[in-house]
Amino acid sequence: MKISLNWLKEYVDLKGITTKEIISKLTLAGLEVEDVFDETEIYKNFIVGLVKDKQKHPNADRLSLCTVFDGKNDLQVICGAPNVEKGQNIVFAPAGTIIPKGNFEITKAKIRGIESNGMICSEDELLLSDNHEGIIVLDSRLKPGTKITKALGLNDVILEIGITPNRPDALSHIGIARDLAAIFKRNLLVPKRKLKESKEKIKSAAAIEIQDTINCPRYSAKVVKDVDVKESPEWLKNRLTKIGLRPRNNIVDITNYVMHECGQPLHAFDLNLLCGNKIIVKSTESESVFVTLDSKERKLPAGSLMICDAEKPVAIAGIMGGENSEIKDATKNILIESAYFNPSVIRKTAKALGLNTDASYRFERGTDPNNTVYAAERAAQLISEVAGGKILNGVIDIYPVKIKEKKLRLRIERIEKVLGYTIPLKSVSLILKKLGFKILSASTGFITVSIPAFRPDIEREIDLIEEIARIYGYDNIPTVSKISISLGEKNDSSAFADKARDAALSLGFYEMINNPLQSEELSALTGKPIKIMNPLSTDMEYLRTSLLPGALTVVSQNIKHGEKDLQLFEIGNVFNLNSDSGIESFKDFTEVQKFIFVLTGKIQQKEWCQSEKNADIYVLKGLVHSFECKILLDNVLNDSYYHDGNSLFDLFFTKKFGDLEIGSGGRIRKEVLKKFDIQQDVFCFEFSLDELKKIKIKRRKYTEPLKFPKVIRDFAFIFDKSVQCNDVEKFIRQQGSELLKSVKLFDLFENDSIGADKKSLAFNLEYFSEERTLTEEEVEREFNRLISEVTNKFNAKLRGS
Amino acid sequence: MLEEKIKQITDDFNSDIKSVEDIQKLEEIRIKYLGRNGVVSSLFDELKKASNEEKPALGKSLNLLRNKITEDFNSIKTRFESLDDLKEIKIDLTLPGTRRQIGSKHILTQTLDEIKTIFQSMGFSVYEGPELESDYYNFEALNFAPDHPARDMQDTFFINKDFVLRTHTSPVQIRLMESHKPPVRAIMPGRVYRNEAVSARSYCMFHQVEGLYVDTDVTFAELKGTLVSFAKQFYGDDLKYRFRTSFFPFTEPSAEMDITCFLCHGGGCKVCKQTGWLEILGCGMVDPNVFKYVGYDSEKYTGYAFGMGIERTAMLKYGIDDIRVFFENDLRFLKQF
Ligand SMILES: [Zn+2]
Repeated sequence: MKISLNWLKEYVDLKGITTKEIISKLTLAGLEVEDVFDETEIYKNFIVGLVKDKQKHPNADRLSLCTVFDGKNDLQVICGAPNVEKGQNIVFAPAGTIIPKGNFEITKAKIRGIESNGMICSEDELLLSDNHEGIIVLDSRLKPGTKITKALGLNDVILEIGITPNRPDALSHIGIARDLAAIFKRNLLVPKRKLKESKEKIKSAAAIEIQDTINCPRYSAKVVKDVDVKESPEWLKNRLTKIGLRPRNNIVDITNYVMHECGQPLHAFDLNLLCGNKIIVKSTESESVFVTLDSKERKLPAGSLMICDAEKPVAIAGIMGGENSEIKDATKNILIESAYFNPSVIRKTAKALGLNTDASYRFERGTDPNNTVYAAERAAQLISEVAGGKILNGVIDIYPVKIKEKKLRLRIERIEKVLGYTIPLKSVSLILKKLGFKILSASTGFITVSIPAFRPDIEREIDLIEEIARIYGYDNIPTVSKISISLGEKNDSSAFADKARDAALSLGFYEMINNPLQSEELSALTGKPIKIMNPLSTDMEYLRTSLLPGALTVVSQNIKHGEKDLQLFEIGNVFNLNSDSGIESFKDFTEVQKFIFVLTGKIQQKEWCQSEKNADIYVLKGLVHSFECKILLDNVLNDSYYHDGNSLFDLFFTKKFGDLEIGSGGRIRKEVLKKFDIQQDVFCFEFSLDELKKIKIKRRKYTEPLKFPKVIRDFAFIFDKSVQCNDVEKFIRQQGSELLKSVKLFDLFENDSIGADKKSLAFNLEYFSEERTLTEEEVEREFNRLISEVTNKFNAKLRGS
Repeated sequence: MLEEKIKQITDDFNSDIKSVEDIQKLEEIRIKYLGRNGVVSSLFDELKKASNEEKPALGKSLNLLRNKITEDFNSIKTRFESLDDLKEIKIDLTLPGTRRQIGSKHILTQTLDEIKTIFQSMGFSVYEGPELESDYYNFEALNFAPDHPARDMQDTFFINKDFVLRTHTSPVQIRLMESHKPPVRAIMPGRVYRNEAVSARSYCMFHQVEGLYVDTDVTFAELKGTLVSFAKQFYGDDLKYRFRTSFFPFTEPSAEMDITCFLCHGGGCKVCKQTGWLEILGCGMVDPNVFKYVGYDSEKYTGYAFGMGIERTAMLKYGIDDIRVFFENDLRFLKQF
């Protein structure tokens, strides 16, 4: 909301307070000044210039070549405006001036081959209005060289203030002034009404009936007859343009002026267009159509509150008037509406219409129900001043159930309990009074405060405490330097994810964080995705069902940038639907924290001392195993292998805990990679951290170093290619005695020399006992037995024999 | 006699071994002293002739001599051998070392870790909650009345009328208080979503850390103290700060904390929108209505809550001017941190 400091000063005396201080204090009190437009600063370089001569630009039909006198020198200036003429006083921006619109600097420049030493400005370029029809022509009596700030009286400061939704009372100049009065301990000056009313009674000219008193608790009106609708006087147009409003005509402008003065939205009807000179306020029972004064046809939902005359709707209550009753040049008699509407009905209708007006903005936050008559009378007075006419005697004010001021009890010790600091009772009282609260009584320990109706946000004791604290100043409340810490158990629900992350880091992986919002195509690849009702775009219409599609997208993007060797991981939540009937409870979907590894390209670069190595399925397997070891879950999970994989992986393996699948991954199918435009092998493995977390981690225990020597034996066999390494290894373990403590594959050899359908597997066997030294003979016996068992079982041939 | 000889031979050996220059010469010395017919064995022959009283002492010094010569010889021999190796292989120490890849945490994780460490040292636990949240937890129990304009403060992604992608981490406060009796002191990090057009300044999802402390005597002054201590530890000791009045439905009084802009030191620049201040977090005293929802007695207990955006914090701290780079996961970006 824009606030003019000059206008504001009509309601509060700010003498001796700098603009900087006003801005800072408003901001600290919760009325955040987001932008400052200081006219004195912004227009400091603009001066009055005299157009001494005007010629056609030799190289451009639409441009003029002007000679501008700036009070000292004659300057050559190119101008594109059609209305520039010899002898005019104009607004001149010399080279070096910053033009407010677009925030650019005017420099000496050649325009179509001819030098220009500045610019002749329009209102639009100066942000004085949105009129860009032509340049501003100034009073001919002004002396060239005069500062424009002086010539046009540009000495205001316009503040852009962000008003939080709890402060409808601050949506006007008087509202802001009230806070300033409290902050600087000054007086609030509310304009007095000086009404000269005619003898004609208002009741004889109009009648009002409220049918829906829930949604319209109060409706007040004044009537002014025989007005002269025309352009507003300069002072009024100025006030409105400075706060960003476009002047219309004197009647509409006054209603806007009063709204920005005191916060009450007003609407002026052409009384002669109201059938039966009657206003009826009622809610619609079914959907309807209505043409608003911007000539747009609006579809209204049932239950919209409408202002009607005896026959038809004439306005959408609190949002926008109708075309059928708006003020036109020929309008003579007007009815000024000043009402209080139920905030939630205005919000519902405005939302349904997608229409947000200055009026609806205020009504849906809550206006002052007890200020409607003041606003109507203030508007009537100002209208008679700028548009003539006669104000009819009296006011129509339908207010069946008066909204009473709330009374709250404020305990003094409670202020201290919440703030940790005692604010003197004198300060408390002064702050509350300045803010418009009444102190009804003061007893030992508490005061009783009456809350004005313009503060709907003040409902409880705590709300009063905030008012006191914010005006007293948060910075004046001390900052404690000691805290006490309770020694109870400390929880860290992110600890397991942190451990998994550290494991991935120690394996040399980089962490990525992806957007969980994806296209349907990506999210449906890996699960049953959940749809967003109001997505930003179809690219972000679903929640991810797995970390895989995001990982592949990152791989693809990086390869495009030339980064082809990637080892990445991510930890994040994935979402899957459980039911087909949509989400009614938390049971209808799962949200699970997952962990993914992705690797592609080289895992080892070629260097002078080592050759390069590409990622492959065994690298992935080793990696997953190392990861398990790091998080202390090795030898807990079981592997399963699938050669044909599934729709995503061609080589695929899973990790299970008992029967529960905890993780899966492998090599991504080429067809899948094609979707991501990836031409190289990619390996992924995804764990469910939520499931891993549940497994009880075995505590690491110290084991004494072995006291007796190990006996190591190797053997290699030639097998048919169809024999699986895992099966052989398992068999050796089963057949070995308790002295056999470790079986490890250390070589794989495939070559035509041993037969095209054969392979050689070499194993390393470790024998030891914790209690004694083994004899060569007992190991030899055991080892030889294994050789014959393996030979028989797999039809294998011992190598080197 | 023999004693003098031993002394003499020790001196001889010491001077011989000093002048040795190569391994051949060393071998000559070895033969001279320790060879089968060397000096030392001739002394042992002489020992046999010594008297019975002299024998033990002389034998001891002779043994000492032999040991010393053997040790000196061995150590010098090892030195010569390794020198020889070096000369033969000619190792080029200027060749680059073998590279090892070290991974890294995402910069957002690193930032969160820093924040976590500070609050954990102040006795805060860590809790997490779901991202797909019910309207009840995300809004209602946090005192956002239905149809109130406060709901417009956060553009929301809806799954349907009852479920949303959480717009803040504050629902975890409710979940935590529902399941724990006071005192509670915890931070709650997590991902949140806002239905805002993607640009350099805003993204449709980001991360927050929420903080909550409820006990019998928690005050606004303590909230200020805790947050000032955090800010000094995180941003540096010499910062200036201010607390501004603000509005959040779930806190009353509500505030936002600003620190002096560390780019312009308060003079005003583009990043701080010429104000000289940077907003770093929102905070306030827990609204009694929130306590009502979770069944805490608001007469007995008071509490404070605060929340900050991690992306914003990281952008300020590392001078990142486009929020989108966090989620592009360009390796060249990831490797910088
Ligand atoms: Zn700055």
